[in-house]
Amino acid sequence: MKQEVILAVKDLNVKFSLRGQVLHAIRNVSLDIYKGESLAIVGESGSGKSVFTKTFMGLLDGNGFIDSGEILYYGKDLAKNRSEKDWKNIRGKEIAMVMQDPMTSLNPLKTIGAQIAEAIRMHQPEIKGKEAIKKQVCAYLEDVGIQDPERRYKQYPHEFSGGMRQRVVIAIALACKPKILICDEPTTALDVTIQAQILGLLKELKQKYDLTIVFITHDLGVVANIADRVAVMYAGDIIELGTCREIFFDPKHPYTWALLSSLPQLGEKGENLFTIKGTPPSLFKAIQGDAFAPRNPRALKIDFIEEPPYFKVTETHKAKTWLLDPRAPKVEPPEAIRNLKNLEVLK
Amino acid sequence: MAKYLLKRIGRSLFTLVLIICIVFILMRQMPIEGYFQNFDKLTDAQIQAELKNQGLLDPMPLQILHFFRDMLHGDFGVSHSYRTNVPVTDILRDKLPVSIRLGCMSILVSLFLGIPLGTLMARYKGKFFDKFGTLFIVFIQAVPAAVYYLFIQMYGTTLLGIPLLFDPNSWKSWILPVLSMSLGNIAYYGMWLRRYMVDESNKDYVCLAKAKGVSGNAVMFRHIFRNAFVPMVQYLPSSFLNTVIGSIYVESLYSIPGMGGLLVTVIKDNDNNMVQAIVLLYATVGVIGLLLGDILMTILDPRISFGNKEGRR
Repeated sequence: MKQEVILAVKDLNVKFSLRGQVLHAIRNVSLDIYKGESLAIVGESGSGKSVFTKTFMGLLDGNGFIDSGEILYYGKDLAKNRSEKDWKNIRGKEIAMVMQDPMTSLNPLKTIGAQIAEAIRMHQPEIKGKEAIKKQVCAYLEDVGIQDPERRYKQYPHEFSGGMRQRVVIAIALACKPKILICDEPTTALDVTIQAQILGLLKELKQKYDLTIVFITHDLGVVANIADRVAVMYAGDIIELGTCREIFFDPKHPYTWALLSSLPQLGEKGENLFTIKGTPPSLFKAIQGDAFAPRNPRALKIDFIEEPPYFKVTETHKAKTWLLDPRAPKVEPPEAIRNLKNLEVLK
Repeated sequence: MAKYLLKRIGRSLFTLVLIICIVFILMRQMPIEGYFQNFDKLTDAQIQAELKNQGLLDPMPLQILHFFRDMLHGDFGVSHSYRTNVPVTDILRDKLPVSIRLGCMSILVSLFLGIPLGTLMARYKGKFFDKFGTLFIVFIQAVPAAVYYLFIQMYGTTLLGIPLLFDPNSWKSWILPVLSMSLGNIAYYGMWLRRYMVDESNKDYVCLAKAKGVSGNAVMFRHIFRNAFVPMVQYLPSSFLNTVIGSIYVESLYSIPGMGGLLVTVIKDNDNNMVQAIVLLYATVGVIGLLLGDILMTILDPRISFGNKEGRR
């Protein structure tokens, strides 16, 4: 089935200038996002997940810039946007965002009603009049599962718990009527029971509002729960991309193997949990070969010399590793992750 | 809210009573010369008689009680050396309005110029205006006020074509003293507002506001400015107080008949009744300033709740 591409990223390079040095945060990434899917981007801290999605909205920090590449949204190249005016029709209206920490992402001095209303006033100009806007705000509050919206409307963020605040943040995003919703680790700051509720809510809203969701996370449990497709990022590059099933049950890249092996659920009683040795490479220097090679105990010689291209596994699955080259020796994925099917979190 | 306010006002009153008692007791430890105009020429008997007459030989608690009684009748005694035998209240009644007027005008000017200065510096952080503003602030803070006060007086009077001395009936005469007194506050407000605004603009909620499509200027004013102003508000009343007391130099430079320097003069002259009255006045203004600052904060910041959880953020 050929799906409609809503956002196409082509050869994107993002750099930051830091104290006279240049940090190459996103290295030549290409990715198609399909309309109506939920795509998860996973990777460890600093792999560039957040930076990558921030470029879709022009929210890079002041010292960051798009060096080259295209971000095509319905044929319009967002990478060329410079001024605030260019972004005006994208931010919120087309792409909205839910951020990591609900404790800090709401303005503490404004009622939550006012903060949602602000979005409605900007993006749904057809709703006029105080009463109508208030009614719409209450409708959104109910949508995100906040009871008694009439009363909650007038309350301030500090009167809400973390999970409730995240619901408010989601309501703000919905009030923008976006087509794409970027969720930047929306459950990281919440406890596990609330996580599940928020994920359930996002799934529900995706159906109701016909959203495309881009999910950034380092929690593979979340990925299994919500994603149709998974992109694994490492050192500013997508090293493996596939459907959720393919990534979990037939991973190809050694880094994906390592990531899956780190699932705490795989730990044996009495033994240390699996960790990936070493640290990600410095992005200040050019990277030679496979970025993961120095940390990969089973790296091939060529991994240190030449960067692997994408090898196609199936129509939907590709990975950047020399192991997929026909000439490569056969290396089996680690024992631990062969039986992921039996894991509770993945069912 | 009413309960909280009553509690705060009650506490402020208690503070004032405490200050009065302490100052009163301390003043009684001062040399007794301060109660006489012609101490040297008097005999011991005359001195004792006069002290007894003024009630200064009574036990301390009784003296304090009398002081409070007189105070509530608006009687702070007479000045002994500053202006002999003129009631303290009459002296202050002439001087206080001049200083308050000067202080109010200077605060207004400081706010009108300091707020835009800080806001624009934060808006164009790292750009020309920010650098220019920083230069101004550093200059004002580093150069002793006396230096630029003199320059303002020298060149300002020529520029406006007005005499050096102050004339309360000519509006032009107010410009230079008010400007001199404002410069420090403008720099102060500008510096702190910029700092608070830059702090706020790095917070997550600002990013979210941008992400939902609020334009840069709207974010600046609707979100950042309002939130950055809250911590500023707390200091406004006390900085007003400082302006009222702190105009010694400006007032003497232009010969303005205000309060500036009065306290120092009367302490030097051992004019005990005057000292008492002025300290009480400043303490009152100070306590009210703090109270107002806190009330303003609670109005502007919903996180500060009234009642038993007061002051929690």
